[in-house]
Amino acid sequence: MPFRLGWRGSRGAIDVLFLAPLTLYILGLTLWPVLSTIALSFQDRRSGSLPTLANYQAVVEHFEFWDALYNTLFISVVGLSLELCLGLVMALCLSVPFRGRGVARALMLIPLGVPTIVSAANMRYIFGTVGYLNETLHQLGLLEIPIDWTSGGARTLMAVVAADLWKVTPLVMLILLAGLESIPGELYEAAVTDGAGAWQRFRYVTLPLLKPSITAALIIRGIDAFRIFALPLTLVGRSTPVLSTYTYFEYVDYQNPYTSAASATILLVMILATTIAYLQIAGTEEVIS
Amino acid sequence: MRPLTYLAMSAMAAFLLIPVYLMVKISISVPGEVFTQHPTLLMHDVTLDHWRQIVTGGMLWPPLKKSLTVATATALLALALSAPAAYVIARMPRGWKYTTLLTLFFTRMFPEVGIALPMAIRFIEWGLFDTDLGLTLAHLVRTLPITAWILVGSFEAIPRDIEEAAGVDGAGHGRTLLRVILPLALPGLTVAALFAWLLSWEEFTFAVFLSLASRTLPLQVYYYVYQGNWFLTATYTTIITIPVLILTYALQRYLKAGTLAGAIK
Repeated sequence: MPFRLGWRGSRGAIDVLFLAPLTLYILGLTLWPVLSTIALSFQDRRSGSLPTLANYQAVVEHFEFWDALYNTLFISVVGLSLELCLGLVMALCLSVPFRGRGVARALMLIPLGVPTIVSAANMRYIFGTVGYLNETLHQLGLLEIPIDWTSGGARTLMAVVAADLWKVTPLVMLILLAGLESIPGELYEAAVTDGAGAWQRFRYVTLPLLKPSITAALIIRGIDAFRIFALPLTLVGRSTPVLSTYTYFEYVDYQNPYTSAASATILLVMILATTIAYLQIAGTEEVIS
Repeated sequence: MRPLTYLAMSAMAAFLLIPVYLMVKISISVPGEVFTQHPTLLMHDVTLDHWRQIVTGGMLWPPLKKSLTVATATALLALALSAPAAYVIARMPRGWKYTTLLTLFFTRMFPEVGIALPMAIRFIEWGLFDTDLGLTLAHLVRTLPITAWILVGSFEAIPRDIEEAAGVDGAGHGRTLLRVILPLALPGLTVAALFAWLLSWEEFTFAVFLSLASRTLPLQVYYYVYQGNWFLTATYTTIITIPVLILTYALQRYLKAGTLAGAIK
């Protein structure tokens, strides 16, 4: 009997040959590094013996780690909520035809065409001490002494959220807009015939049918928000660590790959747990479409 | 309602455009106009000094060469590794295909710092640290799931009847693939390669973990941000952004939610 892979129509050896490079690459250079990070996090710093919780203990006793955890959660929760609201409003605006809609849509793509590291650098012109935010507030008569928005604290977190909003809201908007455009117009006509007002149409037609797009946007953006790295590193640096940058500082500044691995593992567990929990609630079929 | 919509749209346009405008403006501004208590939004004195310093001062070519080399190698290798697999995945029954694509999606969930950390440690041992090859290998990690995803879509769009007809006409597997499938998949392959190129060109996380002396353009930006040199930062960021903006607009109709999952960061 000729060799077959498990599915109907498989060509056996040829399929194996074709699938092998990608599979081996992902096993060797994605899965294996992730597993070695986990292993490293349980390894003793001096003797190299396994397993030990010493690295996790060192991390949780470090105040900067709690800062990083809090900042990551703050940026994720506040950022995601704002992105979704803004993205939905923008998608609703752009889903109805009006003059200049083409231009508006083209403008929306600008942040997608600006790399994260570039947008982070650009935001320093706005949030710096001699930046444009201070100048605008000064012109409006709201500010006497210039503020350094990137020196730490709640205002720095809000600066990171605002900078991230600039870069990613258009992405959320595009996902939601695609969802809106797939809702058949007849449903709205039927709702109007039944006497539904604008709010009722939104609440009982748009929102339920938009749920798969909202799920997709939440998961895609949620994962990225948890592991946000280039933006906080470039915009605010050490003053406001997040879990990813904390991982980086532990390795590069403190030369400690073990605590770095422990923090990376905590981040990994957070991402996996949140995503799996969300998929359990919302169903997986909706992510791929 | 109408005027309100236009007002909202204008505010949004300003919000979207101002950071990019400031970047270009600062790259051609004299220092006195930027480092002042009250910077102005409009341009007054234009200077090409910062551009001249970078372009003719020999500071552009080394990072540009590294970014170009790594991005091009990443794009070509991404196609070589993911196209054959994508072809097979596209021909799988629905359940298998769905599971495979979901697995690919899951590999995109891992925090990149957790992949970059052991990579950096190993690459130092293997002599791949701070090399073009090492960074290319790392960039493939974030690129392969996306190119595979795009290519599955484009192979799916090629009807099986065409393949079967070629088979009936006596063409073997290899010939059918080369003469029939490959030309039909060419647009998809081009799009995938361009996405891969972009993903590598603008990549920062792996680059900062895996480089020290030989910087890519994004690392050059990070370096000048910490030097506090706004002008060189603005000039380098403008240089990085130009191809990304052009390609984003060229590829906009391929920006589907699935590809967006990881393509744009």
